[in-house]
Formats: sequence, C-alpha cells, structure tokens
Amino acid sequence: MNLLTKKNHATTETAPRRAIAPRYEVEETVDAFVITAHVPGVDRKALETHVDGENLTVFARRADAPEDWTPVYRESAVADYRLVLELDHRVNRDAVRAELNQGVLTLTLPKAEAVKPRRIEIKG
Amino acid sequence: MKLIRYQTSPLFSPSANYPTLRDEMDRLFDVAFPALSSLQRGGLFGDWQGEFPVDLYQSKDAFKLRAELPGFRKEDISLEVADGVLTITGHQNAETKSNGTDKESAIATQERRVSRAISLPENLDLDKIQAGYENGVLTVTLPKREEVKPKQIAIEVK
Repeated sequence: MNLLTKKNHATTETAPRRAIAPRYEVEETVDAFVITAHVPGVDRKALETHVDGENLTVFARRADAPEDWTPVYRESAVADYRLVLELDHRVNRDAVRAELNQGVLTLTLPKAEAVKPRRIEIKG
Repeated sequence: MKLIRYQTSPLFSPSANYPTLRDEMDRLFDVAFPALSSLQRGGLFGDWQGEFPVDLYQSKDAFKLRAELPGFRKEDISLEVADGVLTITGHQNAETKSNGTDKESAIATQERRVSRAISLPENLDLDKIQAGYENGVLTVTLPKREEVKPKQIAIEVK
C-alpha cells in the first residue's frame, strides 16, 4: 500500500532542534484512515498539524525538563517530533481531524466521497 | 509479575543483576539495527508492549524520574516501592472506541500491559514520593533524605 508514504522525518532546516519521527500506525475503516502516533511529553498547544498540498505535516514540540534538573540518565531522545505523510487522492483533505489525549495523537483522515463504497441500484 | 530490565546503568540496575554477554549483544543489535530488533519483538508496534523509556534527573533536594507512557489513563498506572525497587505498571484493558454510530468505523484497542522495575538510590525519603501523569508522561519526584542534602557550613577564618 502506498497511500501514506513517509517522505522524510528528520529535517533540521525548519526546526532549531533535532526532530524524530514518532511511532505511528495507520488503520483503515470504512469511511476513514486513522493514524495513531505516540507523542509523549507534548502539550496540546505545542502541536501543529497542517495539510499543505500533498503533505500532511505533524510537528510537535516536546517540553524540556526544568533547567535546575540535571540529567543523570536518559533513555528518551532529546528531540521534537516531526512526521510528514504524503496523502493520495483517497483522502478528503478538508475534513482532517486531530485529537490529542495523554500523548497519543489520533488523526482521522476521512475518505473522499468518490472512493467510499456505494450501492448501485439496478433499474428496470 | 514481569520484571524487565530495559537498559543497565550503575544507578538503575539492581546490584545483583550484572548484564550478561548475551544482554550486551542484544543491546548492541538494538542500537545498530533498530528496525530489525523491533521486528523480532513482534512487528512495528511489538515493542510498545513491555518496555518504555525512563529518564532520571537530579536537583539539589530530589531525584525526578520521567517515564514515557503514552495513552494510559491516570488510574491505569500503578507505582509500588518495595525493597528499594520502584515498580511502574501500566495496564489497559481492551476496549472499543466508537466515534460514530457506525460499528465498522470503530477502532479497537488491545489489552496493554507494561511494567518496569527500577532500583532506587539509597538516600531517598520514601514516604514523600510524589507522582503525576500529564501528556502521556509519568513524573515521579523522589525527595532526598535531609542528611544527604549538601549543607553549607560557614567557617570563620581568623
């Protein structure tokens, strides 16, 4: 399936800090594609999602630890999250919805009317 | 109970559990070929099960532990301290989230259980441990005991 191709996930051109791609998963339902991405440590205000032409871009700035806290041991990356997905004709770009709940971003990309399953009545 | 040692460090590894050569090799492969390792553990999301990254910070009078546990509810996370080991467990039951009347558009979440045991430094005031959960990040504040805080003693020079 080449519906949502990951184009790039680590550019430093626009972001001052290193950005990594979050873990994500794409599921298909009857009327939408649902992307679930894990972005722990991101506040609702620090999240930007936009559709620009072919691309759906998610940029999430992760909260820094307070300055007086010295890291002793780290396993998580010191980076923001950036995910760029290429949308194809099956997605209705105007109706993309985003929801953030406890570090889990859910993007609902409704399918375009033209590709939804439809019943064709036989006449006569 | 499942105890998973994610990564060893002087501070985190229980003193009895020195990493074996096999553990070290596994770790090396995880670092060198992350995609392969995650596949081996059961697919792209396989390693969401069981392991989660933990950071440790220190300030003048407390340690702060930060664990990335996205997608839980506050009540699904439990913390337990016993014998100098802090156990963090997240357990989420399987449920079906429906965002409409159409059953077929519902997204089902699988049962998820993650757990990690972290050995704590010795000089903590265990009665004053506090924890919070926000934006999928669990923060545990571990205050140091009074006597280990640095004290300034003024010495008069005559």
